[in-house]
Amino acid sequence: MSTPVECPGCKAPLAEHLLNQIELVACTACGGKVRVDVYPAFFRSVTPGKSGEILVVESESSCFFHPQKKAILPCEGCGRFLCALCDCELHGQHFCPACLQAGQKKGKIKRLEQERTLYDSVALSLAVYPLLIFYFTIITAPLSLILAIRFWNAPRSIIHRTKARFVIAMVIASAELIGWAVGIYFIATHWKSHG
Amino acid sequence: MAEREYRRLTRAKNRSLFALVSASRSSLWLGKDHVLQIDSSGYTESYKRFHFRDIQALAMCATQTWLYLAVVFAALASLFALVAIVGGGPVVGGIFGGIAGVFALCLIFDLIAGPTAKCYLRTAVQTETLFSIKRLRAARRVFEALRPLIRNAQGELKADSQPANVQDQPIPPIILEVPRPSAEPSAKASTSAPGKEQS
Repeated sequence: MSTPVECPGCKAPLAEHLLNQIELVACTACGGKVRVDVYPAFFRSVTPGKSGEILVVESESSCFFHPQKKAILPCEGCGRFLCALCDCELHGQHFCPACLQAGQKKGKIKRLEQERTLYDSVALSLAVYPLLIFYFTIITAPLSLILAIRFWNAPRSIIHRTKARFVIAMVIASAELIGWAVGIYFIATHWKSHG
Repeated sequence: MAEREYRRLTRAKNRSLFALVSASRSSLWLGKDHVLQIDSSGYTESYKRFHFRDIQALAMCATQTWLYLAVVFAALASLFALVAIVGGGPVVGGIFGGIAGVFALCLIFDLIAGPTAKCYLRTAVQTETLFSIKRLRAARRVFEALRPLIRNAQGELKADSQPANVQDQPIPPIILEVPRPSAEPSAKASTSAPGKEQS
């Protein structure tokens, strides 16, 4: 069994008879109302890691990273032979540590992805917020347009999200640029006619 | 239309209850085999996945925050209402009355939403606070939604999984309710539930 379940309020270990109750129960230590649902994983013992089997016959295939150890399967990313120590299992797929690291960094393995930048939100903010001080839009509107075009096909949020923010950002940024162009044109013609 | 990979469990909520303007928000999503917690700063999102097979425990704890909030909102609403009444003049009365109305609305929403709660999710390597669950009602809804999915992934909790010191105690009702596997039902029931015999 793992370390005891603590009361979420006072962090005191909870008595086992307080676990898996449908209603809130009072913690014996602090009296706070708590409910803790415990699942079988709580009682599961942690399986020790495998170290890899030593190669006894020379003709057997060996691990790419540990030539003295027996290969048990190939990496699904690069095809290199891996021993039990180097085998990183991820939801039924087997990778070597290098592929796993590369997959996480480059976002090739979606399940390992931990962060995304929301370029659509950035583009929209660049188009909208500077409207409060309109003069900034001469810089931010082109930036917003460039961002929207550059990252049009970039992955957005991991949850379902449309390209509406990009579209709105492009429309507003274009309107701002047109506004600037019209303003500059009028100032130029007005200055010319009076000059 | 392509099937969505995630279904919403909770709406995005501020990581701090009292944060009036906070960009950092947290939400919970239900995937095929895991719960996804998204922490968003507005321009970036960070993801934490909790696979059903790894979840050891879900815990909720009722807090008194909703009562404190109700007192604060009621006090502010009363204060502004008082100023609106004694302030004199329709303009002052209208402005302060409006502000009092806003606080009164906040008070009503707080009372309707019900008691607040703090929730935690425990795995073998971490205990994560679920910031997006702030009310007891939402916590119950999420726990009930997750329970069958986790049980499907991990199997049923057996009474003999209990540590030795609780073998003598009565088995919690939820464990007694669990249907036994079809193979050798009577033998398992007699060996795995000693607390039942005693009670």
